[in-house]
Amino acid sequence: MRASPSRHAPPADDPKRSDAALARLVAAVARRDEAALRTLYDRTAAKLFGVILRIQADRGMAEDVLQDVYLRVWQNAASYSPEAGRPLAWLCTIARNRAIDGLRRRHEVQGPVTEDGEDWVERLADPHDSAGAILDGHALRACLDRLEAMHRDCIVLAYCEGRSREDLALRYDRPVSTIKTWLHRGLAALRGCLDGAA
Amino acid sequence: MTPDPNERDLRLAEYVLGTLTPPERAAVDLELAVDPAARAARAAWDRRLAPLALAAPEAEPGPGVWPAIARSIAQSIADETARPLAANDDRIGALQGSLRRWRLAAGTAAALAAGLALFIAVGPPRPGDGDGRYLAVVNSGGEAPALLVSIDTRAGTARVRPVGAQAPAGHSLELWYVGAGQAPKTLGLVGTGAHGVTLPVKADAQALTAGSFAVSVEPEGGSPTGQPTGPVVYSGRLIRD
Repeated sequence: MRASPSRHAPPADDPKRSDAALARLVAAVARRDEAALRTLYDRTAAKLFGVILRIQADRGMAEDVLQDVYLRVWQNAASYSPEAGRPLAWLCTIARNRAIDGLRRRHEVQGPVTEDGEDWVERLADPHDSAGAILDGHALRACLDRLEAMHRDCIVLAYCEGRSREDLALRYDRPVSTIKTWLHRGLAALRGCLDGAA
Repeated sequence: MTPDPNERDLRLAEYVLGTLTPPERAAVDLELAVDPAARAARAAWDRRLAPLALAAPEAEPGPGVWPAIARSIAQSIADETARPLAANDDRIGALQGSLRRWRLAAGTAAALAAGLALFIAVGPPRPGDGDGRYLAVVNSGGEAPALLVSIDTRAGTARVRPVGAQAPAGHSLELWYVGAGQAPKTLGLVGTGAHGVTLPVKADAQALTAGSFAVSVEPEGGSPTGQPTGPVVYSGRLIRD
């Protein structure tokens, strides 16, 4: 177990952020309960803002995206079902989508890639997650570790930081078509590994 | 769209990853809006990769974000209550019941890229019409219908009447029909008044209900490519009530 970094407050294993508690809040939001949305915001906004900030580094724009995310949650809470995944993962998906949509629409060129994909993979081993999440995280980490390093880094940098094929082509000094091939090979191998392990 | 299932799964993986180009992304938005198998494949990729998103370090947003959300929600509630249903159209009233039922059924399937739920319900048959006429209500998640599409399968025509649908400034709304496993075919722009269109299939009800209708946001004057290029804001199928 690593020492607990201060950024994890409140920790993800807080009962207020359990799947059941968040699912109840989403259901209440679907019934147009504004107080429930406020509570959901208080419990999840820091997580979602962290997800958005990695993709959209400008704080002002990232806050606009965050605002848009909760408006969409307000409009679409009725479409959430447990089969769609854990509630926090569902919220993160909406946040990632909105951040990437905004980035691609503005054809934004991001700053140079400074972090290694490896750093993100490291964070998958987070002792503060619930037991189910830890298992999922371990499986993903094990499968990512089996990929060729460059394939893995492309996937992780795209997913975590919203890097486009062009960004990655610049970083690796390869044609965009090569990046696409790497992504496809890496993703197909990842799918085989994860689905085989399930 | 290529029919290769592996190719499609990797396209959806790249959609989740965020590495598709904007036109590729828009095409997948349409695919997701009309194809349950595509939604399932996308959800599978979301699940596979979710632990990476959940591993993000947290960051406190500024204190102004929640008040801005609260204001927008208050405004949207005010808009919903201020916009009366088209009470002069009794067909809308007659459809509310089936619309509500379909809303329950469609709830999980309708998480669309554009964030709008959509419902097309087939109206009750009216005396003398036989089986040839269908009425579709396309709705953007509030109570008020956005589009009425009345379809005469015998004549092979549809009449599109916008009720609450509004294109963003400088854009047009374009209506598409997507036959099962086929590329979208345009049914023309959604104007400000009612207009008729010819359906692209030699339409018996069975062939029509196998496909989907979708409305996308396009540059003014319609898609320059003949395929949807903008986000899909409404979509749905004809369903027998």
